[in-house]
Amino acid sequence: MTPEEEELLIEQVAGAWRPRGDDDLATTWHKAWHDLDGAGRERAFEQARATRTLEAALDPEGLSTTARAVLARITRR
Amino acid sequence: MNHDVHLRAIVSGNARVFGQWMAACEPTVRLSLRSFARVVDTEAVLQESLLRVWQVAPRFVPDGKDNGLLRLAIRIARNLAVSEVRKLRARPAEADEIEAALAEEDAPPAAPDPMLRRHIADCREKLPQRPREALDARLSNEGARDDDELAATVGMRLNTFLQNFTRARKLLVDCLKRAGVVLDQELG
Repeated sequence: MTPEEEELLIEQVAGAWRPRGDDDLATTWHKAWHDLDGAGRERAFEQARATRTLEAALDPEGLSTTARAVLARITRR
Repeated sequence: MNHDVHLRAIVSGNARVFGQWMAACEPTVRLSLRSFARVVDTEAVLQESLLRVWQVAPRFVPDGKDNGLLRLAIRIARNLAVSEVRKLRARPAEADEIEAALAEEDAPPAAPDPMLRRHIADCREKLPQRPREALDARLSNEGARDDDELAATVGMRLNTFLQNFTRARKLLVDCLKRAGVVLDQELG
């Protein structure tokens, strides 16, 4: 894997989208997470932290995309 | 701040107030999962944990100490992470990592920073069009669609979309630095 390819995987894992399980209830893991080594996963974690801070600051209600994703699932049920 | 001030409304099923609680407490719950980052997808665990907090909140009995719901959320998140690691039985070091995670002290809830919000909003206005489109696509999506789909909505290939998102974040961070805001410090 090239450094550029790894960066793109990290960017995907650092996002808030996660696939749903077969029953559409459980949150399952991002497939790109499995392609990263331990160091890449730690970088994705830190990148997610930083990105959520930015997202929350840009959101009118201070919600990150993680919180928005959870809220969307709650209100859809 | 004691975020249990939201508890009565959350227990009665007020999702908007639960959103306010998440806005305040999500960073702390996320941070509690840091030591699991190598062995579980912490974003998936975090979202599932927050959903479970919402589900169990009506039965939550405060113990009289501040931030009881936050402490419950951290416990749920760690238990879920441990459960996922046990399912994987991935690595011989897992027991040590679990112990290290469980031994961590609960971090205090982060305080909102209106100045940071203003600086970031100002910097967003200065982003070039394509990075801003990628950033806005994710922000408006509420985590509902994967990056492939989001890329298509703004007429980009996946790699281009991700590169533009990376660029947007870096430009925001650089812009904040010029304004005297170092994001790492803000993150504690």
